[in-house]
Amino acid sequence: MESAIVVQQLGKQFRRYHPDRPWTFQEAIVRGVRRLFPEGRFWALRGASFEVERGKMVGIIGANGAGKSTLLRLVGGVYKPDEGSVQIRGRVGALLDLGTGFHPDLTGRENILINGVISGLTRKEVFEQYESIIDFAELKDFIDNPLRTYSTGMQLRLAFAVATHIQPEILLIDEVLAVGDIAFQQKCLRRINEFKAQCCTILLVSHDPGVIRRMCDEVIWLRSGQVASHGPAEIVTAQYVDEMRAETARRTPKDRPARRIAPGVELQPGRNRLGSFEMEITDVHLLNRGGLPVEEIDSGDPLRVELEYRAPAPIENPVFLVTLTKEDGFVCHESSTQASGMILPVLQGKGKLSLQYERMDLAGGRYYVEVGVYPSNWEFTYDYHWHVYPFNVRATSNEKGVFSPPHHWELRD
Amino acid sequence: MKNWLAPQKLHRLNYLMDLLITLVARDLKLRYRRSVMGVAWSLLNPLAQLLVLSFVFRTILPLRIPTYTVFLFVGLLPWTWFQISLFQATDSIVGNRELIRRPGFPVSVLPVITVTSNLIHLVLAFPVLVLFMLFSGINLTSAVFVLPILVILQFALILSLAYPLATLHVTFRDTQYLLGVFLLVGFYLTPVFYDVSAIPERYQLIYRLNPMVDLVDAYRTVLIHGQLPNASSLWLMGLLIVLLLVFGHIFFMRASYQFAEEL
Repeated sequence: MESAIVVQQLGKQFRRYHPDRPWTFQEAIVRGVRRLFPEGRFWALRGASFEVERGKMVGIIGANGAGKSTLLRLVGGVYKPDEGSVQIRGRVGALLDLGTGFHPDLTGRENILINGVISGLTRKEVFEQYESIIDFAELKDFIDNPLRTYSTGMQLRLAFAVATHIQPEILLIDEVLAVGDIAFQQKCLRRINEFKAQCCTILLVSHDPGVIRRMCDEVIWLRSGQVASHGPAEIVTAQYVDEMRAETARRTPKDRPARRIAPGVELQPGRNRLGSFEMEITDVHLLNRGGLPVEEIDSGDPLRVELEYRAPAPIENPVFLVTLTKEDGFVCHESSTQASGMILPVLQGKGKLSLQYERMDLAGGRYYVEVGVYPSNWEFTYDYHWHVYPFNVRATSNEKGVFSPPHHWELRD
Repeated sequence: MKNWLAPQKLHRLNYLMDLLITLVARDLKLRYRRSVMGVAWSLLNPLAQLLVLSFVFRTILPLRIPTYTVFLFVGLLPWTWFQISLFQATDSIVGNRELIRRPGFPVSVLPVITVTSNLIHLVLAFPVLVLFMLFSGINLTSAVFVLPILVILQFALILSLAYPLATLHVTFRDTQYLLGVFLLVGFYLTPVFYDVSAIPERYQLIYRLNPMVDLVDAYRTVLIHGQLPNASSLWLMGLLIVLLLVFGHIFFMRASYQFAEEL
């Protein structure tokens, strides 16, 4: 198949300036002309080579400052490469900075026209697509109001609607899908899948290995400006997640004393506990219907997982994660505040958070509740407790497997 | 080969026109959205200047130039266009950070947009000038058909200066401020409120290095005297302005790869 994007030995160098770099003639005269010139240069990206086939969706993953956005901008032609080359075949559409070219004092309709034309459509092409764009953005009733009356979510919807209506052959997306409500995210994902079906090539940058794994065919993992790995999504995201774990293990303070949780169970950093401990999970309670602590429930009973946390310094938008696993580590269910669309505010001091399972339709056996708290970009771990909180599920009948939905047999003649 | 290329080039040109129209329309809408008076507001500045200067140079320090108000108005309009659009265009890169970072956006169109929006103000003021002329008993002659050529020349002149200035402003953010100082001086070194003939012979050569001198003078020849301006000096000016524009544009395009990084 034909390649839509060919990147060869691509490198981009940025200049590093003195912090007191003069920004005006006046400062240049006062502080001297010497600091006008860069003190050094560094490679934000180097030696990147890859090809993307038409119709493929490729994720770009990596830590902050690994060169993800730089790569996207090079592909989009915003930056000029210092080394190597980028070849593009087809019209490029981009969702790089949210709402660029939007003006708060103009109406939604006027902004669609401006943004469409800025994105490469002629006026006629925008006029033909007005209705379709407005429908997709679900803004029919507000379209003639000035943009300053829109919420962030509405603006995002408008930006996404315009960007996807320019019929790009190559679409560059930078992290923007993280904004907006779940329903609209789903819609965007559907739209992206439609594009894929039409042989549109997509490059998606994200911090979230989950999103990348679910959506992309291939993944490029960038580490300090170099391609660390490029291959099938499953494999590369797994490698990436492994390395993040290792990074967290390295950050885990070894001097934290072990803490006794229950008879025979100790919380011990480096063994069943990981994290930087900027935010800690101080206690976990498993509660039954009546709010009393339990160690054993019947299959189909409710269960409430209550977490107590402590954050000595303010933590911005942390994400809590609760996973139900079997003894061998098999994941039965996983849920995070982020995946559920809950954005936590800045948390500081002590507090409680709980997750209510209405029904635990698990097969009989021993399970663990793993708990964790992460920064919103999942780059490392504040605190993660593994295999510390067990509970038993009493089977109602003798059955195999991990889950046990309400069921019964019937014989019909 | 040519046939194959032509529709694409045509489409590109068509697109650039649409881009220009849309962004100029945005500029104008934003400027007038909040004021009911709309277009009349854009006339306020030149009219106020007209009032003050004509009081000063007719009553306090009389220059004894016939139909002085029209004379002054014809000088003020091109100068205001020059001054305001050059000043604004200098900020057209720094002030449009998000457009610069947009894949495929033709950066060099930004100064053109500023100069064009201000040209619209000039065009809107023209009927007012014609009213003033009729009131003073000056009639338009067929020489007025040369006017578009002068406007195109001035457009190119402003643009050729705007390209390097906008580029410089990315690195030195007080370029615009310094330009303001130069423009203030320029106002007095351009025959806006006096006639070129008032400059003594020995200064004429150096005085005419300011390209606005001949332009303003040509506007007056066409509008007030109803005559054609000196063709050879127009040709020479046109040639110089085209050269200036080519160099300004090359300088701008060379530097434009850095814009996205420096902003």
